[in-house]
Amino acid sequence: MSPVSYAVPVPRIPVGESFDSAINWLRINFEVVFDFIGMVIQICVDNLFSLLAETSATQFTLAAAGVVGVGLLARKRYAPTLIAVAIWAGFYVAELSAGLAASVIASLPAPLFVWAMNLFGSSYVYPPLVLALLLFAALVALSFIVTRDRGQQIIAAASAASLLAVLALHFIVGVQLSLIVGALLAVLAYFIAGWGVALFSVLGFLLIISMESWSNAMSSLALILVATLVAVAVSVPIGVLAAQSRKVSTVIKPVLDFMQTLPAFVYLLPAIAFFSIGTVPGVIATVIFSMPPGVRLTELGIRQVDKELVEAGEAFGAPDFQILRRIQIPLALATIMAGINQIIMLSLSMVVIAGMVGAGGLGNDVYTGIAQGDVPVGFEGGIAVVILAIFLDRLTGAVTRFSPAARAQRASA
Amino acid sequence: MPAVRADKLYKIFGRRPTRAVELLADGRHRDEITSLNVTAAVIDVSFEVEPGEIFVVMGLSGSGKSTLIRMLNGLLPHTSGSVEIEGTDITKLGKSELRKLRSEKVSMVFQHFALFPHRSVLDNAAYGLEVRGVARDERDAKAREALAMVGLDGWEHKVPGQLSGGMQQRVGLARALAADTDIILMDEAFSALDPLIRRDMQTQLLELQASLGKTIIFITHDLNEAMRLGHRICVLRDGRVAQIGTAEEILNDPANDYVANFVEDVDRTRVLTASSVMEAPIPVVDPGQGPRAALRTMRDNQTPSAFVVRRDRTLVGAVNENAIGEAVRDNVKALDGLVDSLERVTPDTPVAEMFAQAAESSYPLAVVDDEERLVGVIPRGTLLAALATPNGDDNETGEEPSRGEVGESGTTDDTAGTAEQPHEDAAQSQPDPGGDAQATEGSRQ
Repeated sequence: MSPVSYAVPVPRIPVGESFDSAINWLRINFEVVFDFIGMVIQICVDNLFSLLAETSATQFTLAAAGVVGVGLLARKRYAPTLIAVAIWAGFYVAELSAGLAASVIASLPAPLFVWAMNLFGSSYVYPPLVLALLLFAALVALSFIVTRDRGQQIIAAASAASLLAVLALHFIVGVQLSLIVGALLAVLAYFIAGWGVALFSVLGFLLIISMESWSNAMSSLALILVATLVAVAVSVPIGVLAAQSRKVSTVIKPVLDFMQTLPAFVYLLPAIAFFSIGTVPGVIATVIFSMPPGVRLTELGIRQVDKELVEAGEAFGAPDFQILRRIQIPLALATIMAGINQIIMLSLSMVVIAGMVGAGGLGNDVYTGIAQGDVPVGFEGGIAVVILAIFLDRLTGAVTRFSPAARAQRASA
Repeated sequence: MPAVRADKLYKIFGRRPTRAVELLADGRHRDEITSLNVTAAVIDVSFEVEPGEIFVVMGLSGSGKSTLIRMLNGLLPHTSGSVEIEGTDITKLGKSELRKLRSEKVSMVFQHFALFPHRSVLDNAAYGLEVRGVARDERDAKAREALAMVGLDGWEHKVPGQLSGGMQQRVGLARALAADTDIILMDEAFSALDPLIRRDMQTQLLELQASLGKTIIFITHDLNEAMRLGHRICVLRDGRVAQIGTAEEILNDPANDYVANFVEDVDRTRVLTASSVMEAPIPVVDPGQGPRAALRTMRDNQTPSAFVVRRDRTLVGAVNENAIGEAVRDNVKALDGLVDSLERVTPDTPVAEMFAQAAESSYPLAVVDDEERLVGVIPRGTLLAALATPNGDDNETGEEPSRGEVGESGTTDDTAGTAEQPHEDAAQSQPDPGGDAQATEGSRQ
């Protein structure tokens, strides 16, 4: 008789295998969906990167038009602003699809445009730029015609001046784009977060430029911004749902825990399976990793809104959605912004892991540093990540100041 | 048609509400059904509120009053019974109909104001109209009007955080007024305010109600507040109605020991008003009569003074025996120059506010209406008698005087003497010159 064995036979549950086959099944059956998502993300990241690192004159002009347009909208001049933008968009789409704008512009007496184009070294009229310039001019004109608001006029004049200065500096004098974009980001920081952050941005960006990491930094920034956008777009609605319903909340909670604690490398596996190597799996992994605090803080923020205020809304007969939009979300905005801030911070911490799947950018620098023992490259990449992190953190932290609740709180303090 | 009608209304929190309703309908106390694991907040409550009435629901915390008020506009679903708002049974309405009803017919003022901190005072006041979809200009105009009514003009562009508690609740009130509903529910609206502000707000509410004629259902745990504001008061105890009646009915004729205990400490002088203690003005003389006729009238009535009243009942003043006697001796023909002015109060003046005036004059207080017509008089003895608790040890003397019916002067004096809790003001008004007391007594029949 053989000695009695006390080992209890534990059957092996094929967890990993079923996960793998589930992924395969999904990939085969929903390939189109994943391809589409991947394409959209790729286009977003590429465009954002080109906007940040290879800015064209058109993009500068549109950015300036954006500033003036937002100013107009903030002063409630909706109709003329939107009409101008709509006309521009119409022409732009027509131009893209049929070259319509080009023919319209070509039919105009064009020597003026041609002279302007010559300045930028183009020998022909580039329609999108002309359209953008016309839109900008229209918005500036609107600022002076439909508003008597001094502030708006100053904004319009200042944008026109800085647009001219930027175009002249880069396209005529030949100053590097990195310096100009860095300076513009610093100006943005000044208006949103004050001179301290602006000063930090100037010094930090100069350091990044001098480390020759600017292009990589912008690539990472583009990835982070897209990932943040997706994460916010997904997490805030989920958070709102979870705040409204206890059931959703109890279901969501373990899922969030799972997403936060599962090692990031593990969900790189399906991400690569679905989207192959490159920027997209980096974005997807970043979104999954950074989403939970967005959901949690949105839920918390909305739950923290005084019950009596919600009841007041109900007592006056407001529908649920209106209570959400006009009472709960404005009052929870500070907490929701804290969540968005957390999303951005977590996205930054994923940069390196995204670099491992070929997302490029600063993560790639760090990964190269580790893989090849190249300390200088790795360290410089890391420092650049920190500078970006502080810049984004202070910026999103300061945005909260503009919420109506925060404004009211300041007024009453 | 009553503005609000509640009929056999129940609210049970918990899993087996139907069984609980059956047991409670049999008259069991809510503590006897704890085994069902339910909380009975409102039990078998029925009442009707007439349009333009201030109906106060009063009870201690846990008596179910906040639950009750939230059932009246459907914020909380009922368990059994019905609630009718202007004839519509709201327990049968769907969600959106209920919302419509709330925004058009019933607005609410909250204990902790529930103002939206991120909106300006104006936007807060305009909220009800905004929900209803009224255009900006119109709702701003109405909100401004409502803010002016509560005395907050000039504060439109502040935010609630910049206002004091009293002002915040004025905004809360303006929000309800601007919504322009006929019915306003007020849930412990003044409980979070300090006493002086609370008094101001009560006064303001009474004035607004008198001018606008809103139907107001007011929740409070403060009996003095209930007595001051309510045309009728509903006393809740452990979810059930203990008594419904006017302040004076509850004070003078409590339905059970609970209510009696409750009203024991009430400051009666603030509840009872001139109209409830005043007596018929006898004797009166016409200003056209001569001193001789006046003296005869006083003799006939055996009083040392008489009220001078025109044909249309407007009060001129009063004359007293001594002055008239001299005038008769001097053969004066007219009353001119002999008439003394009187201290006047309105029928709504609380007894508490009359002591100082009563002390200033040797004549009884004259109660006059808005058109200065004499409706009654209050001799000092009557004023003191009003302080006596009706169901004290001595019931016979207790009931009559506070009813304002004319009693024997001896009885009245007794009551005043044995009053259990003489009010401070009353004590002060007692050490008066002896002659006055004589005049007071004399003016009673």
